[in-house]
Amino acid sequence: MNDDVEDLDIDDINDTDKPHLARFRILVCIDGSDESYRGLRYAAKIAKGEDVDIVLCYVRPADQGLSTGGLQMDVARGNMLEWGLELPGITYLKKGRDLLMELGNLRDDWEEKAIHTDISGTSLGDNKIDYVAKSGKKVVLKLKVARDVVTGILDQWELGHYDLIIIGASARWNGKGLKGFFDPAVAEKIAIHAPCSVLVARDLEIGHGHLLCTDGSEAAIDMIKKEAYIASLCECPISILAVAPDVESEVEAQKAVNNARKLLDDLNVNVVETLTRVGNAVEEIVEAGPDYSLIVLADGGKNGLERFFVGSVALKVMQSAHNSVMVVR
Amino acid sequence: MSDGDPELSKPGSVRARTAGRALKLVKPIAGLRRRGNYLYFWEKRWFFIAMAVGAGLMYMPTPDGLTTAGMTILAMSVVATILFVTEPVPLPTVALLIVIGQVMLMGIESKEVARSLMSDSVLFIMGSLMLAVAVVKQKLDTRIAWILVRMTGTKTSRIAFGIAMVSGVLASFVGEHTVAAMMLPVGITLIQLTSNDPKKVRNLAAVLLFSISYGCSVAGIGTPSGGARNAIMIGYWKEFFYDPLNPDTFQYLIDYVHWMMYAYPIFLIQVPFVTVILLVTFRPEYKDLSRAVVKLRAQVEKQGAMKAGDWVAILIFFLVLLGWIFGSAEYGMGTIAILGAAAFLIAGLVAWPDVNSGVNWGVVLLYAAAISLGVQMKDTGAAAWVAQNFLDILAPLGMDEGIGLWAAVSLLTTTVTNTMSNGAAVAVLGPIVLKLAVAAQESPIVIGYITAVSSAFAYLTVVGTPACTIVYASGYLKTTDFLTVGWKMVVMSTIIMLAAAGLYWPLLGG
Repeated sequence: MNDDVEDLDIDDINDTDKPHLARFRILVCIDGSDESYRGLRYAAKIAKGEDVDIVLCYVRPADQGLSTGGLQMDVARGNMLEWGLELPGITYLKKGRDLLMELGNLRDDWEEKAIHTDISGTSLGDNKIDYVAKSGKKVVLKLKVARDVVTGILDQWELGHYDLIIIGASARWNGKGLKGFFDPAVAEKIAIHAPCSVLVARDLEIGHGHLLCTDGSEAAIDMIKKEAYIASLCECPISILAVAPDVESEVEAQKAVNNARKLLDDLNVNVVETLTRVGNAVEEIVEAGPDYSLIVLADGGKNGLERFFVGSVALKVMQSAHNSVMVVR
Repeated sequence: MSDGDPELSKPGSVRARTAGRALKLVKPIAGLRRRGNYLYFWEKRWFFIAMAVGAGLMYMPTPDGLTTAGMTILAMSVVATILFVTEPVPLPTVALLIVIGQVMLMGIESKEVARSLMSDSVLFIMGSLMLAVAVVKQKLDTRIAWILVRMTGTKTSRIAFGIAMVSGVLASFVGEHTVAAMMLPVGITLIQLTSNDPKKVRNLAAVLLFSISYGCSVAGIGTPSGGARNAIMIGYWKEFFYDPLNPDTFQYLIDYVHWMMYAYPIFLIQVPFVTVILLVTFRPEYKDLSRAVVKLRAQVEKQGAMKAGDWVAILIFFLVLLGWIFGSAEYGMGTIAILGAAAFLIAGLVAWPDVNSGVNWGVVLLYAAAISLGVQMKDTGAAAWVAQNFLDILAPLGMDEGIGLWAAVSLLTTTVTNTMSNGAAVAVLGPIVLKLAVAAQESPIVIGYITAVSSAFAYLTVVGTPACTIVYASGYLKTTDFLTVGWKMVVMSTIIMLAAAGLYWPLLGG
C-alpha cells in the first residue's frame, strides 16, 4: 500500500489549535467536470501558504465485468493505450496539474516522484505522482482504482487523513432517475460518510465571502474555529448568520451571532457583517446563500447512520442549496 | 476510522490522538476495521433487503397453482434480480448463491445442479469471450479504420454512418464488446485530431462515439454470435420445446441462418436511422473532418503492409464464421466458438495470460447459474404461473394477444434490460415470456425473438449494453447524453421491430 502519512504526525494534522505546526491537507476529487476544476481553483486559493498540501484524486471504478459483457474493460483500455491515447483519468489529473501551475501553486523546480501500486483485478493499479517543493509543500496527483468512487475517496481519506475534501456536486445530486433511487449521488455519500470537513462545489465562485451559519451550539463554535483557519488561509470575507425558529427566540440567535463574532475577533479574523433571520433554518440559509461563495455549516456531530435517518440541517442545506456548501467536522 | 464515533472525529481530543496513533499501527487492517462499522451495512443494504424479501416470499402461503418448489425458485429469482440490479455484492457471488440455493433450499442433488450449469450456450459465451480478446489483440482496428475512411470520405455525416455500419456489421458476428473495444480508439483519434479541447468537439464526440456504441447495439441482434443473449434464447427454445421424438418440435431448433433471416434485416434498417437521430440530436461542430482524416491515414499507413499473422487471424475468423453457419446444428455453437479460441492459441496469435486476464470468468459463471435458474423456473412450473398471472393483468388492457402482447413483452424486456446487462435480462425473462407465449397461444419463436431483439434496446443507461459501457470509459460522454438520445432510439427500434414482427416475419413462415 502506498503511504501518504509516512512523515506526518496524525496528532498534528487533526489539531487545529496549532495550525502552524501541522500541515493542512486538502483532497480535491477530480472527475473532469468544470465543477471539480472550480473546486480545485478554490483549493489553490486556500493553499497559497507553505503549510497546505493539495492532493488531486481521480477514482476509476473497478470493472465488474457484467456491464461490459464479460470482456474486461482493461482490454479496451489497453487498446487505447496502444493507439497512444491517454486514458481519461490521466488527462483530467494533468489538466488539474496544469491549472495549479498556472495559478502558481506548483512550479517546475519541484521534485517529481512517480509511484505505482498494483491492485489485484486490474492491470493498471494505483498511480501517484508527488511534487514536493524544497519547503516540504506537496502537490500529489493520484489515480486510484476502487470498487466504486465513494469507496475510493473514503479509502483515500483513510490513507491521508485530510482536513478537507472538495468535491463537485454532480447533476445526479437529487437522485434523479431509477439509479438515483437506490444509489444517491457520490458527493452526497461523501458528505454523509467522510469523517472530515467536506466542501461540495456548486457554481463555486471565488471572492464573494463565506456565510457562516451558527446555532450557538458547541459544534458550531468548533466549526467557527476551524473556519477561522480556512478563512485566514484564503483571506475570504466572513459573514455570520443565525436563524431563529420564531420571533421570541430571535434574542438567542442574536446572542449566537455575537458570540461567534467575538470568537472570530479574538482570533483576529475580520467579520464583515452579522445577520439574523426568523423562519425555517434550511429555507432561510438556502435563500441567503447565493450572495456568497460558500455556505459554511457545522455538522451536528451525529454519526453517519443518524445523519442518514434523522437528517440534519447541514445535509438538508447541502441537498437544496443553489451554491457551494461546506460542512465542517 | 472514526466516522462511526463522533468523539473520535473531534480534533484535539485525547481519543483522537490515541486513535490516530492506533490507526498507524493497524493500517494494514484498516479495511477490516471499516467493515466493522455501519458503513458496511449501509453499502450492502440491498443485499439484506433482497434476503429479507426472499425469506418473506418463502414463508408466504403458496398461491394457488404454484408448487412449493416453484415458490422457492420464484423467491430465488426475485432475490437474484434485486441483486443483479443493485449490485451490492460482486455479481459472481449471485451465481454462487443460486447454486447454493438450488442445493440447500430446493433439495436438488449437488451433482444435478453442477450438471445443469454447463450447456452449449455457456460454452458459447465462454468461447466467444476468448475469441473477443484474441480478435482485439490482433490490432486489426487500424486496418478497419483505414478501409473506413477510404470508403466514407471526409464528411462528418458520412463518417458517422460509416462507423455505425462498419461497427454494426462486425459486431453482428463477433459481439458488440469486441467491436466497441476495437473501434473506440478510432473514434477518439478522430476526435482528438480535430481538436484537443474536449469542449470544442463535444457534439462531434457524442456523434462519433454513439455511432460506435449504438451501431454495435443494434447489430448485436443480427446473428446468434452477436451476443450472449441470442445464444441463451436459442438454448431456451431447445430446452423448453424440443423433443427428439416429436418431429413437430424440430422447428424450435433455430440455426444460425434461420436467426439471421429473422433478425439481420432489422439491424440493417436501423443503421441509417441511428445516424440521422445522432446528427439531429447532437449537431456536430464540424461538418467536415478532412484534417483529422488525413492525419489518421498517415498514422495508419505507418503500420506498413498486412503481415502473415494478420492474414492467419482473418482466416481463422472466417473459418469460425463458416463453422457457425454450417456446423452449429451438428456440433453446437459453443463447440465452434471454443474451437476458434483454441485455433488462435495454437497459432500463437494470442497469449494465454492475455486471454486469462481479458475475460471476466465470473460472467461465465453468472450466465451459467442464471440459465440453470431459468430452466428450474420451467421445470417447477413457476415460469408458467408467472406468465399466466402476467397475462391476466394484460387481458383487460386487450394486450393478451397479437401485436398488443408483442408490445407488452417488448416493453417489459426494454425496462429490465436498461437496469441490468442484456444477457442477464434474457436469462431471467426468457422462461417467463416463452411460457407466456404458450399460455396466450402465440408462437414462442416470435415472442422469443421479440425478447432477444428488445434486450438490445438498452440505450438509456451506461450499463445497459457492453458497447455503451466501453464507449463511456472514453470520458467524452455524460450519463445524461444517454437519456437525451436514448429514448429516441428506443422509440425507433421498437417501431421497426414491431413492424418486422407484423409484416416481415409472417413471410418467413414463422
